[in-house]
Amino acid sequence: MSRKQPKGEWIETDTGNKVNRKANLIGTQHIMLGGKTVIMPDAMIRGDLARTATSAAGGPPGSNTAVFIGRYCFLSKGCCLRPPGRIYKGAFTYMPLRLGDHVFIGEGSIVQAATVGSHVHIAKDVVVGEFAIIKDYVRIMEGTIIPANMVIPSFSIVAGQPARIIGEVPEGGHEAFELRERYKSVKTNPLAAGS
Amino acid sequence: MASFTPYSYIQCPCFDATGQARPSDESPSASSSDAPESDDDHAFDPRSPRSNYSLYPIEHLLYCVDCNQIRCPRCVAEELVTIYCPSCLFEVGSSSVKTEGNRCTRSCFQCPVCIGPLAVQSLEPAPESSSLLTADNAAPPAPGPWALCCSYCNWSSSEIGIKFDKPQGIFGQLAKIRDGDGHGDISVAAVDAAPTKKSGDAEADSTKSRFALMRSFYQSQLANSNSTSSGNLSGTLGEYGYGSPTALSRIMSLYSGNGLAALKPKSRPTEIREADSFKDGFRPSNLDESSSISALRENGYDGTVTNSQATSQVDEGARFVEDLWPIPHLLRSKRAKRCPVCRHILSKPEAKVNNTRWRIRLVAGNYIPSISIKPLNPTDTPGLPVPDTSSLTLTPLKPTQYLLTFKNQMFDQIKVTLATPATTPGRFASRVTVLCPQFTIDANAEDYDINEALKDDRRQDKEEAAPQVEAGKPWERGRNWVSIVVEVIPSSLRIEPKPAILRKPGEAEDLGPLKEDEDILEIPMFVRLEWESEAAQDQVGSTASKDKEAKEKRELAYWCVLGLGRISQD
Repeated sequence: MSRKQPKGEWIETDTGNKVNRKANLIGTQHIMLGGKTVIMPDAMIRGDLARTATSAAGGPPGSNTAVFIGRYCFLSKGCCLRPPGRIYKGAFTYMPLRLGDHVFIGEGSIVQAATVGSHVHIAKDVVVGEFAIIKDYVRIMEGTIIPANMVIPSFSIVAGQPARIIGEVPEGGHEAFELRERYKSVKTNPLAAGS
Repeated sequence: MASFTPYSYIQCPCFDATGQARPSDESPSASSSDAPESDDDHAFDPRSPRSNYSLYPIEHLLYCVDCNQIRCPRCVAEELVTIYCPSCLFEVGSSSVKTEGNRCTRSCFQCPVCIGPLAVQSLEPAPESSSLLTADNAAPPAPGPWALCCSYCNWSSSEIGIKFDKPQGIFGQLAKIRDGDGHGDISVAAVDAAPTKKSGDAEADSTKSRFALMRSFYQSQLANSNSTSSGNLSGTLGEYGYGSPTALSRIMSLYSGNGLAALKPKSRPTEIREADSFKDGFRPSNLDESSSISALRENGYDGTVTNSQATSQVDEGARFVEDLWPIPHLLRSKRAKRCPVCRHILSKPEAKVNNTRWRIRLVAGNYIPSISIKPLNPTDTPGLPVPDTSSLTLTPLKPTQYLLTFKNQMFDQIKVTLATPATTPGRFASRVTVLCPQFTIDANAEDYDINEALKDDRRQDKEEAAPQVEAGKPWERGRNWVSIVVEVIPSSLRIEPKPAILRKPGEAEDLGPLKEDEDILEIPMFVRLEWESEAAQDQVGSTASKDKEAKEKRELAYWCVLGLGRISQD
C-alpha cells in the first residue's frame, strides 16, 4: 500500500514504530507507544483527552498519559482510539486507555475501552464502548458493538449488537493473534518495497 | 454473492469409530449407496450429513502423542479446571456452584432486554456524583434508592418496579424481592396487569421458591404419613426417610398405582394430601387470561417479550416486558482436555482466571502440516499482494489451477502422499487432478531466520523464471513448506437428467433445485504422512528404547476437505 506513495510517507521511530504521516495523532505528548507498532493512514489517537483531574497521589506532571499502546499493535485505516471519560469526584475527567501487545484494530473501529489485553483482534467497524475491559486472546467480529462497562473474558469470540460471547478461541488458534509477521510486512521504505 | 475464502477442514478419526459402532445408521443412507463395502475403497463424501460432525479447521484439533492420532472437540473428554464469572472474573468454587447454582452471585447482571451489562445507578442524582463507581471513593455516597441500568438500551430495573436500598449485594436483594420474603423497605410497585405476579398472596413466584415450598410440604406430609402408618410394612420402609431409594419407589408406587401399592391397605393414599395452596407451593394455572389480553391490547406487540428474551430468563414463563427480570451472569469455565482412548492430557490451562498460559497444549497444528489454498494465477507476480479473490467464481468446464501449500511444523522431515477421487462426490462432479501427489517436506529446523531470508531472496530471483506447471514436481518449495498445483475442471451447475446410457439401473435421479452451498467446489483429499522420529521420546517407561537411539517410522493418515471456491451459476 505504501508502494505508490512518495518517499517519506512513513516515519520509523527508534523503537521500531511505523507511523504513517497521514495518521492523526492528537496530543502526542500523552501517547505512549511500546514499539513495533504500525499506525496506518487516517488512524486517530486522541491523546489530547488526557486526565484532567489530578490524581490523589499527585504524581509527576508527565504521568498523565492518555493512551498506552504495547508492542506489535496494528492500527488500521480510519480507526480511532479515544480515552473514556466519566465524572470522578464531581468533575468530568478522561481516564487512560491501555492496549496490550499484539492488538489488531480493524478499519473504522472506535475503541473507548479502559483496557484491551494482549493478543486481541478487533475486526473492522467495531465500537468498543467506554470503560469496557477486554482480556487477552479475544476475537471481536466485524460490526460488533460492545456496550460501555462490559467485561470480556479471555479466549472469547464476540459478535453482535450489543455484543455477546458467541464462542471460545480453540487451543490451536492462539498463534493466529501474532502480529510480528504483519509488522514485518509493512514496508516503510518506498524503494525497498519494490515496484 | 457472499464472499468466499478457501478453506481446508480435517476429518477427525472419531468419525470412523462411530460409523463402525453403529453400522445400522450407515447402510440405508442415500449418500453411501454408491460406496463399496470395503472401508479402504470408501471415498469420503464431504457433503454427507454426517460429515458436518467430523470436519474441523486445524486450529480446533488436538493431537494425542501417545496414540499418534488427531482428536477433535467432539471426542475429547473435558474436565473442569476453574469456574468463574465472565463479568467480574472472580473464581467460584465448585461447592458453591452446587449450592448456589450456575449463575454469578456477585451483582453481575445482564439486561433482560438486550443482554448488555447492567450497572447499579442511583435513581436520585446527587449534586456531586451520580455514578456508583464513585461511591467507594472520597465523595459522599449518592443517596438511594438504586436501580440496575443498562448502558446500551437504557433499560432500568425501576421500569418493573425494582429498586434497591443499597448498591451492594444486589443478588441477595433481588432474590428477596423475587422469592417474596421481602421486607417492607423494598418497594414493589406496579401491581397492575398481572395480579398473580406481584400481589401479596402470590409472593412466592419464582420457580425456585415454589419448588422449595412444595418440597418442604411433601416432606412434612411424608413424615406425617410415616408416623401414622407405622403398623404396616410401608411404615418400616418409611423409617429410612425421604431421601432413601425405597422411600422414593414407595412414592412412585403411590402415584402410579401398581407395584407396592397393590400390597397396601386401600386407605393409604388418602393420608397424603396434595399441595393445594400457595403456601404449599401450589399455583393453579391462571385460566382467566383477560388481564393478559388487556395488557396485550394496551401495550401491543412492543409490550411482549421476544423469544430470545424469554429463553434467556432464569425463570420460564415471561410473556410481557414487565415480567423480565435482570439476568445474573452465567458462569464460565476453564477446561482441560484428555484423550478419550489413553486418558493422556491434551490441553490444560492454568487454573487462575487471569492467567492465559497453558500447562499442556498439544494442538494438531504442531504435528500435521497446515494446508493453505491460493488460486494460481501465473500472470501476476507472486511478490504482489494477491488481488481480491473472494469475489472470483469458478467458471464451469474451464480448467482452473490452485496452489496448495503444505507447511511442516514438525522437527522431522515428512513424506506426504495425497489422493483424491477423480471426480468430486455429489450431484455436480468436478474433475480433480493433483499434479504432484507425492513429495517430502523438510523439517521445521531451528535455525530459521537467516535461512528463510536467504530463501526469500532466492525465491524472488527465481520468480523471474516463473515456475512451470509440471506433473510430478512440486511448484515451489521452501525451508519447511512445499506448494503443489491442483487442477480442477468445475462441473456445470445446470440441472438436467443424465442420458439414459449413463444411468445406473434403479438409480433415482435428483433433479431438485440447487441446494445451499451446493455450488461450492469441495475436494475430499486423503493425506498420508510418513516420518521418522526418535522412538518414543516422552513416553513413560521408554528408557530402554531411548538407549538405542533408534529412529522409529511413524505414519498418520486422514481425510481432509478443501473448499476451493464457488462455481458460477451461468
